[in-house]
Amino acid sequence: MIRIEALTVAYGDKLVLDRFSLELPGEGITALSGPSGCGKTSLLRVLAGLQKPQGGRITGLPAHPAILFQENRLLPWRTVGEQITDVLPPARRDELPRWLALAELEGEQDRFPSQLSGGMQRRLALARALALGGGIYLLDEPFTGVDPARQARLMTAIRALNVPTLLINHEPSAVRLADAVVPLDGPPLTRLP
Amino acid sequence: MTPSTTSPDGARRALRALTALLFWLLVWHLAAGVLDWRMGGRGNELLLPYPLTVLTSLLELAATASFWQTVALSLLRILAGLAAGTLLGVLLAAATSASRWAHRLLSPAIQVVRATPVASFIMLVLLWVYTGRVPTVIAALMVLPVIWANVSRGIGETDPQLLELARAYRFGRWKTLRLVYLPGALPYFTAGLTTAVGLAWKSGVAAEVLCQPRFAIGTQVFKARNTLETPQLFAWTITVILLSLLLEGALTAAIGRLGRRRGG
Repeated sequence: MIRIEALTVAYGDKLVLDRFSLELPGEGITALSGPSGCGKTSLLRVLAGLQKPQGGRITGLPAHPAILFQENRLLPWRTVGEQITDVLPPARRDELPRWLALAELEGEQDRFPSQLSGGMQRRLALARALALGGGIYLLDEPFTGVDPARQARLMTAIRALNVPTLLINHEPSAVRLADAVVPLDGPPLTRLP
Repeated sequence: MTPSTTSPDGARRALRALTALLFWLLVWHLAAGVLDWRMGGRGNELLLPYPLTVLTSLLELAATASFWQTVALSLLRILAGLAAGTLLGVLLAAATSASRWAHRLLSPAIQVVRATPVASFIMLVLLWVYTGRVPTVIAALMVLPVIWANVSRGIGETDPQLLELARAYRFGRWKTLRLVYLPGALPYFTAGLTTAVGLAWKSGVAAEVLCQPRFAIGTQVFKARNTLETPQLFAWTITVILLSLLLEGALTAAIGRLGRRRGG
């Protein structure tokens, strides 16, 4: 169980998380749903260790989270294959075909991000985050531009990795496939146990 | 892009360049003709020779072994200066971008190098190093600030989202430098390098003129001026321009290949 207690995050005067508390399952796929701008991305960034909260604490969070950012953040000068092998340690480089297959990008490994469609770029960014691995996946809008049939196949693939996953998604089709859904209010997020 | 679309574009570009060249050759020829007429056929060879006279002089020079020896040694000196200045510029840009202290210490020194007149540098360096090495040192000193400024700007403008990605994905310093900083700074580096090629030639040949090494284009320019061999002076100058353009063309081609490698 991941326990978030009295978490406070502010950007200047703007409170995004106001003593926000929540308990999340430490396994399976949990979807966080809520209105745009309610603080979901900030919560994910805090969990990923990219943002220091002004207050509160988090316990039970697995080490080395792997985050998928809301933006693809692909390196424009690296090929599809390189984007994935860049995050793999040398001993795991032979896993490339597996991650390409997961993202349904077989045969595209020598192309550059600028040569891919928006949906393909998103699948590549997702495959890269999953390939990075870690104790937990934090996925911010992983299915932007991905059709519902592919979303379902990707959710099955993510579940098969057996790594606890927190995802933010606006697509109801993907949210329905999660093991648990946590509705959030805000902004600011003020949910208390 | 397919060859069928590239070839007509290339041909059109070449035709435009050729037209411009012919236009300026015609202007030159007319100017030389006017001067010839004003001086009653006495003296245009001294002040402004006809393009054909210069071409003849260039061909005569090119038929000698010493011309090629001179060109090769000047090219070697300038290339060495360009390479040294580029390497130092990149290293200093990395240092001043990575450390605030390095920036405080080195930036004023590099600004001073940039602002110092090339003639002052030539005279000073002439006191410090062997005559044959002065053009190399001068070319390096002129190139260094340009490369430093461009690469520093490139590093400074690295996409912060990619830097955050590198941190989140545990890239480490070397990997971040190799995968994020260097490719991001590449367009700035190449722009700086294109400018630096011209600067290296100008300053290197100026240093050769003032310090007179054996087998140097600058030395030949100086001799031609002293003996009032104006067509030869023009021929050597055209040689420098051609070499500079060739080097710049080679670099542009290399940059083009890198651009294709980036999928651009």
